[in-house]
Amino acid sequence: MPGLSPMSQLLELPLQTKNCLLFSTLQESTFGAVLDMVTDRVSTAALLVLLTHFYKSHYGLFLGLLALDISSHWLQMFSTHLSSKASHKDMGDSKSTLLRLYYQHRYFMGYCAIGAEIAYILLYMLAADGNIGSPYEVARHAVAERTVYGIVLVIALPGCAIKQLVNLVQMKTAADVCVRYDTHRYSSKSQ
Amino acid sequence: MEDSAVEDSPKQSNWPIYLYIPNLIGYARIIANGAAFGVAFTNKELFAILYFASFVCDELDGRFARMFNQKSTFGAVLDMVTDRVSTAALLVLLTHFYKSHYGLFLGLLALDISSHWLQMYSTFLSSKASHKDMGDSKSTLLRLYYQHRFFMGYCAIGAEVAYILLYMLAAEGNIGSPYEVTCRSIGNGTVYGILLAIALPGCAIKQLVNLVQMKTAADVCVNYDYARHNSKAQ
Repeated sequence: MPGLSPMSQLLELPLQTKNCLLFSTLQESTFGAVLDMVTDRVSTAALLVLLTHFYKSHYGLFLGLLALDISSHWLQMFSTHLSSKASHKDMGDSKSTLLRLYYQHRYFMGYCAIGAEIAYILLYMLAADGNIGSPYEVARHAVAERTVYGIVLVIALPGCAIKQLVNLVQMKTAADVCVRYDTHRYSSKSQ
Repeated sequence: MEDSAVEDSPKQSNWPIYLYIPNLIGYARIIANGAAFGVAFTNKELFAILYFASFVCDELDGRFARMFNQKSTFGAVLDMVTDRVSTAALLVLLTHFYKSHYGLFLGLLALDISSHWLQMYSTFLSSKASHKDMGDSKSTLLRLYYQHRFFMGYCAIGAEVAYILLYMLAAEGNIGSPYEVTCRSIGNGTVYGILLAIALPGCAIKQLVNLVQMKTAADVCVNYDYARHNSKAQ
C-alpha cells in the first residue's frame, strides 16, 4: 500500500512537520486536525501489524501495543469531549503528576512519540535485513554491534517505553473522567 | 451492547461505577478476547469458543445495564473500545492467515479505525453546535440504515461472523485467497459456506456504510468550521 512503507514514513516526517506549521499559521481546520489524528492512528496500526508479521513469535507484544494505542487514544478523545461539556470546577484536576510533567514539556512529548515510531521502523528494518530472533534479541544484538540502527534504537527505545507508560496512565485518568462525569450528573440532578 | 446515552432515572448512589455488573462483564469480555488471541495460532477451537464467549458478554452487558439500572458513560466507552480492538485484532489475524491478501484486511482495518474515529468526532461536534448550523448531513443510505436497527445488527454481526469464518476456514487448512476459499466453501455447501453466504452481504454493506459515514462525518467537521466562522462574522 502506498505511503505505508517505513521509508515513506520516515520521509513523511518532514511533510508532517510542514503540515503542522501550516496548520498553526495559515489554514487551521477541524477537518485537517481530524485527518491528522486518523492518519496517525492508522499508520501506527499498520506499522504494528507489519511487526506482528516480522516477529511472528512475539505476535502478542505488537498486538498488545496496537490494542494500547487504539484504547488509550480513543479513551483520551472521549474524555476530552466530556471535559469540554462539563465545567472545569466539576471535572476536577484528574491528571496525574506524570501526565502533568509530560504535557508541560512539549519537546519531551515529541521525543517520546517520535521515539516510538522510530523504534518500530528500526525493528522492521532490522528484521527485513535478515536479523532473526525475538525483538529483544534483535534490539540487543544491534545495540551491542553499535550499528547505526543500534545507536538510533538506544536513543529511541526509552522514549518509546515512556510513551507506552503514558498511554497506560492516560487510559486510567480518562476512565476516571468518564466516571466523574456520571457522578457529577447525578449529584447535580439530586440537588 | 450498551446505548451511548445514560438513563435519567435515579441509580444506586454508592456502588462504584468501576464495579457495576455490566462493567464487570466488560472486563470479562476483555479477558476472553485476550485469551482468544493468545491461542489464535495454536488452537482454533479454543479461539472460537473464547471469541464467542466475548460476543455473549457483549450482548449481556447491555441487558444487565438496563436490568440493574447501571448504565454508565464508562461502560459505553469500554464497550466501544473493546469492539474496536477486537475487530482490529481479528483483522490482524486474517492478514496472517491470508498473507497473499494482506492488503485487503489491512485496508478493512484502516476503514474500521477511520470511519469509527470520524463518526465519534463528528458526533461530538454535532452535540456542540446547534442542529440548525449543522444541517442534516446524513445521506439517504445512512438514514435508511439507522432506521432499521435489526438490519444494522445483521450488518455488524455479519462482518464479525464473516471474519471469524474466514479464520476458521484458513485454520482448517484451506489454502488460497479469501475469495477462492469463500467460493469453494459456498460451492461445497458446507455449514461454513452457508453461513458465509448469509453473512457476506451484511459485511459488504457494513463496509459501504463505513465509507459513507466517513464522508458525512468529514462534512460535519467542515460545516462546524463554517458555522463558527459565520457566527464570528456576525
